Amino acid sequence: MMKAVMQGALAAAVLAVLLVSPSFAEKAGIGWKETIVAKSGKAKTIAELVKMYDSSSCIECHKDKHDEAAKSIHSRSIFGTGRTAMTFMSSIENGLMEQPYSGVKSPKDVKVEHLMGCAKCHLPQLADAEDSVAQELVSTLYGWKEARAKKDKAAVQKGEETLKSLNIGCLVCHNRNAITHKWQDGYPKAGVVYGSKEGDHPSEKFPKMAVSPIIGEAIQCGQCHGLGPHLDLDQPTQCCTSYGSYLWAYKSEMGQDSCQDCHMKKSKLGHNIQSYRDPAMIKAAVDFKVDAFGYHWRDNTEIMPKAVVKVEMVNRSGHSIPDG
Amino acid sequence: MPVPQQLARGDRMGRGPYEKSGIIEDTGLPPGKPVHERFDIFYPMGDVVEKGKTVSKLLTHELDIEVKLWYLPFGSMNADPFLWREFNKKVSISKGGK
Repeated sequence: MMKAVMQGALAAAVLAVLLVSPSFAEKAGIGWKETIVAKSGKAKTIAELVKMYDSSSCIECHKDKHDEAAKSIHSRSIFGTGRTAMTFMSSIENGLMEQPYSGVKSPKDVKVEHLMGCAKCHLPQLADAEDSVAQELVSTLYGWKEARAKKDKAAVQKGEETLKSLNIGCLVCHNRNAITHKWQDGYPKAGVVYGSKEGDHPSEKFPKMAVSPIIGEAIQCGQCHGLGPHLDLDQPTQCCTSYGSYLWAYKSEMGQDSCQDCHMKKSKLGHNIQSYRDPAMIKAAVDFKVDAFGYHWRDNTEIMPKAVVKVEMVNRSGHSIPDG
Repeated sequence: MPVPQQLARGDRMGRGPYEKSGIIEDTGLPPGKPVHERFDIFYPMGDVVEKGKTVSKLLTHELDIEVKLWYLPFGSMNADPFLWREFNKKVSISKGGK
């Protein structure tokens, strides 16, 4: 009788532990339990996900970097110019809802896994959220769209604010995505800001600094800026392909600059990472030589004067132009 | 720009990230390699009657040549185009001779 009671108590304890543990799959590598998501558990709401990667405490000491980053489209990676938000919805309607095996009949069926085709780059931390966040994001997107149609300015603004709160903030590059080769370099740890220095970091939430082996390397940006189709997904997607172009058309031809060299350092843009919209990037991107002359061309007896225009362009960037 | 292949099969171009997989061709400028374009623009001719006969005559001896390099992030002048470079030249041809 005593034994049965003990077993019952043990079973209850195991069940209790299972219920309170963060709900995500175990990983093979060592140290993943030190990551932000492993420590906090997956986010259940957009607000929780925003809080999990909240970079607002960085502003106190790094206002200049923050202000730069706020000008970059990374700071509104889900919303973009509005076009990105719209593409999320067209990916649901024209993609997921038309794919017979996606499991999505309506936007209400959308889960995190469905959104990762876009979110892998536009919001990589969505992988650290429950499906309830995917649903909240989808309803926010459609609510914003509906508010636009109704010209409800207050609701449009509220939707935009929520969508813009989900972005590639400081901690995405300086923590979550700061290490690519995790079995070699370890998993990014909660409480650590990854950059170019080791040591203490005067922050309650992030008391340590550590060196990211890739923060100055092209692969840091290549995590999102595209090799081609994301074949690791059950339904591959493809957006920009510039990292693939960088590797196979630039580095392979002895190109020496990294993404950061052009988009942050030489352009003096810092964390305001820009591309085709920025005058400094435009100036550096292409050599453009044109000349023109005219003459009396003739076809047998028929004289047909013409101008000849010759254009020479050399792409001085590290990838095909246009790309993204 | 990279022309995406629809679902990584066949000869159809894909639309949207949910269809794009692979590349059919890249019409963009490859890094580090000169790309040349040549344009032959004929001076405008018009029919005029001379001595009772209709003949084709040159309407002008000058052309204003304008070359613009546009960056079209979405492949169309209707969607957020950016003017990157511009070239202007008046090109004249001789009025004498036969």
